[in-house]
Amino acid sequence: MALIEARNLCKKYGSHVALDKVNVSIEAGRIVGLIGPNGAGKTTALRAMLGLTTYEGELRVLGREPFRERTALMNDACFIADVAVLPSWLRVDQAIDYVAGVHPRFRRDRASGFLAKAQITGKRRMRELSKGMKTQVHLALTMAIDAKLLVLDEPTLGLDILARRSFYDALVNDYMDETRTIVITTHQVEEVENLLTDAIFIDKGRIVLDLSLEDVAQRFCAVAVAPEKLAAARALKPFYERHALGKTVLYFEAVTREQLNEFGELHTPSIADLFVAKLSGDAS
Amino acid sequence: MNHYVWLIRREFWERRAIWVIPATISAALILVALFGRMQIINDVPLESPYVGKVYLGLTGALFITIMMLYSTLYLLDCLYDDRRDRSVLFWKSLPISDTDTVLSKLLVALFAIPLVSFVAADITSLIVAFIVSVRARSMIGGALWEGGAWLQIQGLWMYVIVTAAVWYLPVAGWCLIVSAWVKRAPMLWSILPLLVAHLIERFFIGTHYLAGVVGGRIDGYAAAAFNGGSRGSWNANDVATTAWQFMDISGFFTNPATWIGAAVGAAMVAAAIQIRMRRAEI
Repeated sequence: MALIEARNLCKKYGSHVALDKVNVSIEAGRIVGLIGPNGAGKTTALRAMLGLTTYEGELRVLGREPFRERTALMNDACFIADVAVLPSWLRVDQAIDYVAGVHPRFRRDRASGFLAKAQITGKRRMRELSKGMKTQVHLALTMAIDAKLLVLDEPTLGLDILARRSFYDALVNDYMDETRTIVITTHQVEEVENLLTDAIFIDKGRIVLDLSLEDVAQRFCAVAVAPEKLAAARALKPFYERHALGKTVLYFEAVTREQLNEFGELHTPSIADLFVAKLSGDAS
Repeated sequence: MNHYVWLIRREFWERRAIWVIPATISAALILVALFGRMQIINDVPLESPYVGKVYLGLTGALFITIMMLYSTLYLLDCLYDDRRDRSVLFWKSLPISDTDTVLSKLLVALFAIPLVSFVAADITSLIVAFIVSVRARSMIGGALWEGGAWLQIQGLWMYVIVTAAVWYLPVAGWCLIVSAWVKRAPMLWSILPLLVAHLIERFFIGTHYLAGVVGGRIDGYAAAAFNGGSRGSWNANDVATTAWQFMDISGFFTNPATWIGAAVGAAMVAAAIQIRMRRAEI
């Protein structure tokens, strides 16, 4: 059974539909990016998976119903929702003591080691730390928990490029292994592109695209076409096109490379390209 | 059970006022005892055995009155502050149920804070009694030193903690609901709906039922828990005479108002837990 399984997941706020019949299945050992523009429903989807909100439809995370079983779920799953949610009055050593006290899978030595590496001392309060340091503290607390699932919601929002880089470096080098699963939401695709094994695009509460990165090269192809060949290329039904340097780049799905070779140089689109292509393609 | 220790410690870390306020009152009283002018009021019969008890009773009453007001503010803030600063998203990422979170705050407000105030009152009254007895030895002698009175007063404090917790449970429950629910101004929202309901009742029905119930709950504690309180007059002299006899234990626990209030309070706490489960940050 998949680690996260959603079937017809819906969430309404009044008349606003935040999630519209979402079907998702996430397997163990993957790093999944939940990617979408602001207000697309990413955060709502994560809140539902973490038991922070009610929902309609079927949802199982680690075999549990999140809203009803949040407490038990949090033994095996942890999350960093947003940067800078550690309260300003909390001291670093108190944070470690507290999590060590209430979390059966917390390993204090790992947290302390990570904080020592980041040169953050225990007596400091969160209000005295920079946003980047606060994120490091939160990450240290979270990475010291032996969890099966880690959920990150816009974890680097508002951080400078150095802090972002060290955040993701720590995540990949010190945390990720084949027993873990990570789900990250972001609206900055470029930042996580090299990290992910899977990408799920979400827009207006619906899943637009759900694919494994290994499949991108097989499924998608972009080709820069000179004007004289444009009509012939368009006959193969690209799902998106954009103009660049006098040529037109056409994006194809499920069209073989042999068919496209004659139109120009082929390349595999990046996740960011696909994101733009899929979302603006649907809008037009 | 072990995680309750951490939940309660957490509250003491965050709310340093729980010990800063009693420490401040204590320091002020000690300073007065050290440097204030000693004056004997002629009416007070110093040889009477009541002086020691009056003194202890008044000191405790001062601490508990101030700290109960603080407790109310604490209850109004405790499920609101972490939603406002979004730290609720951190607390909810840990395997602690919302039931335990809400109950730990209730325990702090109804038991931990009163306990801290009485311990502070005891320590302060001992220090002040020592200072005053030394400074005004010729005037009062050992009137403030009375072991029996001190022990009796400890029993009274325990009785006050338990009965006040039961009596004020609906007030605490209401504060928790407001704290878990509102998006801003919990203090205002704790009063506003009651005020509106009261005005509607008064103008459209012409009765004062709600005001009677709420008012009776807030200022009816002394009358419900103590003998002699029914006259509406309650002063420290009464406490002092016979602290034990003064407690109306059977009266309090057989009073239907006690148990109706406790049931309503428990329902409100349960409602606050349900609201807390459904609300994350503001």
